[in-house]
Amino acid sequence: MSEKQPHDMGGDPGGAIDTVDHGMKFWEKQANALRNTLSRRQIVRLDELRRAAEDLGSRYYELEYFERTTEALRTVLIERGYFSEAELRAKMAEVRRRDESA
Amino acid sequence: MNHHHDHSQDRSFDEGPASEYEIMSRAMQELLIERGIITAEEVRRRMEQFDADFPYRGPRVIAHAWGDPAFKARLLADGKRACAEFGIDLEAERLIAVENTPDVHNVIVCTLCSCYPRALLGMPPTWYKSENYRRRVVREPRAVLAEFGTIVPEHVAVRVHDSNADMRYVVVPMRPAGTDGWSEAELARIITRDSLVGVTLPKV
Amino acid sequence: MSLPSAYTEAPARRFNVGDRVAVKAANPPGHRRTPHYIRGKRGVIERVCGVFPNPEELAYGFNGEPKRVLYRVRFQQRDLWANYSGSERDAVELEIYEHWLEPA
Repeated sequence: MSEKQPHDMGGDPGGAIDTVDHGMKFWEKQANALRNTLSRRQIVRLDELRRAAEDLGSRYYELEYFERTTEALRTVLIERGYFSEAELRAKMAEVRRRDESA
Repeated sequence: MNHHHDHSQDRSFDEGPASEYEIMSRAMQELLIERGIITAEEVRRRMEQFDADFPYRGPRVIAHAWGDPAFKARLLADGKRACAEFGIDLEAERLIAVENTPDVHNVIVCTLCSCYPRALLGMPPTWYKSENYRRRVVREPRAVLAEFGTIVPEHVAVRVHDSNADMRYVVVPMRPAGTDGWSEAELARIITRDSLVGVTLPKV
Repeated sequence: MSLPSAYTEAPARRFNVGDRVAVKAANPPGHRRTPHYIRGKRGVIERVCGVFPNPEELAYGFNGEPKRVLYRVRFQQRDLWANYSGSERDAVELEIYEHWLEPA
């Protein structure tokens, strides 16, 4: 028998809820649109994205919502061979360089 | 067609340097665009739909249901079909509408992640995705509703719908008193997103 | 032209609306859409949603076939939590796949 995973939190004790909707930053809206475009076109499946987020295990609570979804998307896109870890790292460095010189 | 997408549009409009995850998300998007998997236009259009289109659909559907009992019955029988009839394409989402009555108050959650009828309501609010909401609303819904300022009387049953699989949910609130003769546009204005998730009630 | 429906047909199904069911108390590893708080609990079939590809398989890149029957099941809060403090009539409703259910 396996342990209950962090994402499976219904019924757990919890604290006060921040009832204000803090909305989304621009990059989060774009990340959401990216994820939504990919799942709508079945390039990735929602079920795979959920599983990849669940597999974060103890890191689940260390990351914020869009950080989790971004990590999960990265896992699934690499799994499905759309790019490699190295290619992603190289592109990330390029994006950062471009930001810094802008 | 111009394959050099305008990099200036990739600049976040948020303040401060981009976080690691923002960089990662933008990098993944660029790789997929470069490899012809998706286009920048697709993503941009989707962002627009989430901002300018989806959030306005839910209130219009419910306002129409309030004015048309036969439509409301069809909405409760098959949410997806009724929305399609009303001209709203929910894409892959299988909508179930649950009705508040004098005896029942409904509230929606996704305890396992953040399933939500996005094509009808837009993006879920941050509180809906929060750990404390996901933990507590299935176990102590009345206390959670009270945190939103909603007190449900003892004689009204509270039903929590956990969207844990393939269906998506929207609450059909009761039409408040004092709205007789209102147009659907006027009704839509008091149907808040929060009332369609079930944590508040529409107010005149 | 027919409009899309939230539901699909599930003619070859084990349970019907009103049937009393129990959720299996199993804890298999991997991607499951049956939350822990409902495992081992008893409820009543509220609605038959239809047949859908199994998410437990889709999550790992399989096609999820054969499709499984999905039901909405209603549970009384007082049956879920030891000291539930709300009304006797308060309930939780979730979707449970047929392979997670047994007759109660």
